[in-house]
Amino acid sequence: MTFDGTDFYAALIHELKNDLGVLSMALGGIPLRGEAAHDAAVDSARLLCQGMVDRLHQALLIYKADHQPIHPVLDACSPHDLVQAIAASAHALARDRLHVETAIAADTPVLWFFDRELVEMALVNAIHNALAHARSSIRIEAGMDAGCLALRVRDDSPGYPESLLESVADGRPYAATGTGLGLRFARLIAHSHDNRGRRGELRLGNDPGAVFSLLLP
Amino acid sequence: MPPTPDSDDFIDYGSLRALVVDDSPGMRNALRLTLSNFGITRIQMVANAAEAIFQIKNRSYDFILCDFNLGEGRDGQQLLEELRHGNLISLESVFMMVTAESHYEKVVATAELAPDDYMIKPFSAELLCSRLTGILLRKRAFRDVYWNFQEQDLNAAIAACDTLILGKPKYAVDAMRFKGELLVALGRFEDAENLYRQVVSMRAIPWARLGLARSLHLQKKHDAAEEELRDVLEQAPEMVVAYDLLSDVHLEKKDTVAAQEALEKGVAISGKTVRRQQKLGEIAYGNGDLDAASAAFDNVLEKGRHSIFVTPADFGNLCRVQLEQGDLEAVADTLKKNKSTLQANPEGQLVMAVTQSMVHTRTGNQQAAVKALDMAASLRAGGARGDAQLMLDLAGACMTNGRNEEADAVVAEVARNAHDSEALLAKAKRLYDEAGRADVGTGVLATATGDVRKLNNEGVVLAQRGDYKTAVEKLLTACDEAPYNPRILMNAVWVMLKYLDQVGMDETMLETARTRLREAERQAPGHPRLGGLRLQMKDVENRFGIQRKAAG
Ligand SMILES: Nc1ncnc2c1ncn2[C@@H]1O[C@H](COP(=O)(O)OP(=O)(O)O)[C@@H](O)[C@H]1O
Ligand SMILES: [Mg+2]
Repeated sequence: MTFDGTDFYAALIHELKNDLGVLSMALGGIPLRGEAAHDAAVDSARLLCQGMVDRLHQALLIYKADHQPIHPVLDACSPHDLVQAIAASAHALARDRLHVETAIAADTPVLWFFDRELVEMALVNAIHNALAHARSSIRIEAGMDAGCLALRVRDDSPGYPESLLESVADGRPYAATGTGLGLRFARLIAHSHDNRGRRGELRLGNDPGAVFSLLLP
Repeated sequence: MPPTPDSDDFIDYGSLRALVVDDSPGMRNALRLTLSNFGITRIQMVANAAEAIFQIKNRSYDFILCDFNLGEGRDGQQLLEELRHGNLISLESVFMMVTAESHYEKVVATAELAPDDYMIKPFSAELLCSRLTGILLRKRAFRDVYWNFQEQDLNAAIAACDTLILGKPKYAVDAMRFKGELLVALGRFEDAENLYRQVVSMRAIPWARLGLARSLHLQKKHDAAEEELRDVLEQAPEMVVAYDLLSDVHLEKKDTVAAQEALEKGVAISGKTVRRQQKLGEIAYGNGDLDAASAAFDNVLEKGRHSIFVTPADFGNLCRVQLEQGDLEAVADTLKKNKSTLQANPEGQLVMAVTQSMVHTRTGNQQAAVKALDMAASLRAGGARGDAQLMLDLAGACMTNGRNEEADAVVAEVARNAHDSEALLAKAKRLYDEAGRADVGTGVLATATGDVRKLNNEGVVLAQRGDYKTAVEKLLTACDEAPYNPRILMNAVWVMLKYLDQVGMDETMLETARTRLREAERQAPGHPRLGGLRLQMKDVENRFGIQRKAAG
């Protein structure tokens, strides 16, 4: 068997996807014992594994977006369900380390049009960031903002570095402690959503902890 | 707050029965562990589609989680198609597809061929649980819609959709989507158009625009349909089904070259769908593009090796093109490779016999050709039938080998069953021209189509005059003459239903009408008249169902 470039990578990635999926479910199936040493080890393994899973999705999507624009498949989705689903994921990852809460504003529409898959990925990435930086709590919010559906992840971290906020505001590349892939990815997804010429937006701010907002027209 | 057992959105996972279909043992185990953590206790696991079908025939499952890629054999989509076509799973069951590709065809033509949801690998247990809960709750809300749909009471199903649209805002758009398909099935294309326009005015989402284009096309507003489709494809270039529809629109406008082009674009995005390749092959063949036709027919057999949509006609189609390309070796190869499949049933054997007769005729081996024709004749005598194209091939081979009477009988049969198909009649005429029997041909075709046309017209006129009894007699005679002619079948059903409606119940006739309607559905799937006939049938059944109850 010869390993020709693309076929080889495609096969490798396929394999990794399967193995990571099995690994993440296997880790998820390990019962906690109430012993700090054991449970903390299991929790951090889970978090790390889920981080890899989400990183893989991001990387593949960004790679694809280099060759062709992202075309979100819009359908009617429930922002309430989305917030609940993200909170469930956050909760599973945070366990007792952090407090996860949700807040759905009264003006949140019952249905909104977006690509659930993509938006979910962007928010899950924000959750990973919050898990890495928050001190004690994460809040997932939905509401309306100037005619857009606003989906937010808020934490009580020291906030995004000033330099990062400035670069994002100017649309310049920014320095990151990690790959910096996550926020780029979220911005791509926000921008790919368009409604009669109005584009989605990624907004980052500090209040005083980090506030990640995805605005969907 | 988590839902409590008596709340509206509580799902009792302990009561669910789940089936996991995955070829990887590691994944199967991981999924079992995950599902049992949700509280599902009854979990069956299988490695492939055949085992899945076996299990599903044995007992019903509330939740099927199926990997798209199942190694050798059918893939997940082919399994789903087979389950839906064979009515093996109800609309209440959840079918979720697991796929490794994020660009997996998300927009499938009809709800019938789409799973309830997709999971993109790798995924977490929490995400799977959120999705599953969401679908189960939606199915719960749609219970009345599904029930009426399964009872074939489409009007009641529409009413149930309306209840959701008004009363359950969360499911309003889903209900509109289902309602649109019901309206199309009932032949209410203008209502469907209006409904899709309403969705589009909220947001121009791809399925609604596609639905709009389809309802325009069905109303023969081809230019408007085409314009809509071009727009959709700009917004969602990966939406393959839009190319399928675009190709249909071009066909209606008699632009077969553009129809082929549209399908070629669709195939470039997704070449796995057997029916797309079949259609491409037929259109390319009609356009005289033999290379494209043989590639497409080849793909049909290659990709569709395990698909229920592949029929013996597909083997015949490929061989015919290969023969016309003069590639006798390829024909021999096709027959050899598929020998066991073809020999499994009389229809396949007929394809083999007819193809062999053509090959031997071509190579001048008259003895072998005659042997193959004898084989074909005895298969036909035993009731085997082929598609019209194959039958015309047979007629051609018969003529070349001096079996004119047999040829005329075969052509007459084809003509009776397709008395209004210009394309087929023209092909038949060409056979006679080539054999130097043009005069005979004109006679054979005129008699065959004339008889059927006469019976049909008389029947229709009688019905219009209100003489349903004689009309039924005429059209049933026409059906005996042309048992596979969709136009005749549909007219016969129409007249029988009129009769039952006006004159009164006749159980035997109702059963005959049912049988003929089923045959029409087989011969012309998706024909716009079918929806209306189904509806009238249901009405008649309902009325007499009630009368019978009152009498008893
Ligand atoms: N919730 C947060 N609180 C504080 N800083 C954050 C938060 N999220 C992201 N950051 C900062 O933004 C940078 C870029 O984030 P991201 O694009 O997700 O890439 P990565 O996580 O790989 O570093 C991070 O390196 C970090 O410095
Ligand atoms: Mg990150």
